[in-house]
Amino acid sequence: MKTRIEFTRSPIVPPAPEFSSSEIGACLEFAGIVRELENGNKIPGLFYEAYEPMATAQLEKILAELGTKNPCDEVLFVHRLDFVPVGEVSLFVRVCSRHRGPALALMGELIERLKADVPVWKRAGK
Amino acid sequence: MKITVLTFAQTRTQLGFAEKSFECEPTETPREIFRRLAPHFDPGKTVRVAVNQEYADWDRPVGEATELALIPPVSGG
Repeated sequence: MKTRIEFTRSPIVPPAPEFSSSEIGACLEFAGIVRELENGNKIPGLFYEAYEPMATAQLEKILAELGTKNPCDEVLFVHRLDFVPVGEVSLFVRVCSRHRGPALALMGELIERLKADVPVWKRAGK
Repeated sequence: MKITVLTFAQTRTQLGFAEKSFECEPTETPREIFRRLAPHFDPGKTVRVAVNQEYADWDRPVGEATELALIPPVSGG
């Protein structure tokens, strides 16, 4: 499985998909967007920080594990750091596979694992 | 030996530093190191510890590790 993991401090601009094989039949994209209300209060955005080398290593490990269970061809993972204003994308994930089943399963599990084990934190405000 | 201690999110606020170099012994555990470094800090059950960028046991000696990090509950995405 080809994987690309990036952390960026700029707005996320997802690159156009470049399918590595003509056998790819499913391409799934997820965007996490910063919402305006946090516990009922309006916020300007969220501030994200990460322990980047460990976060990258954890994601590589998680993807290797999930890819064994749900064979996919490509995963692109991009997480924005620092201040992300309301309405902008904080997380972008693209998963491509031959059939939809593994891509849908891997995407769901990857996001659950991100929220449980990958050292990235957010707080309201700048 | 010297070990670099890193803190993130709320643990950074609680301990008052982001990174600190600290003298320790290979036989010391992360719990013992933090007890000396910040006697009033209690990781409770929610703060995990990472040794050389891998989740580790609070009570296992750090050995020849060079980096120790406090990992409060994560919230990416």
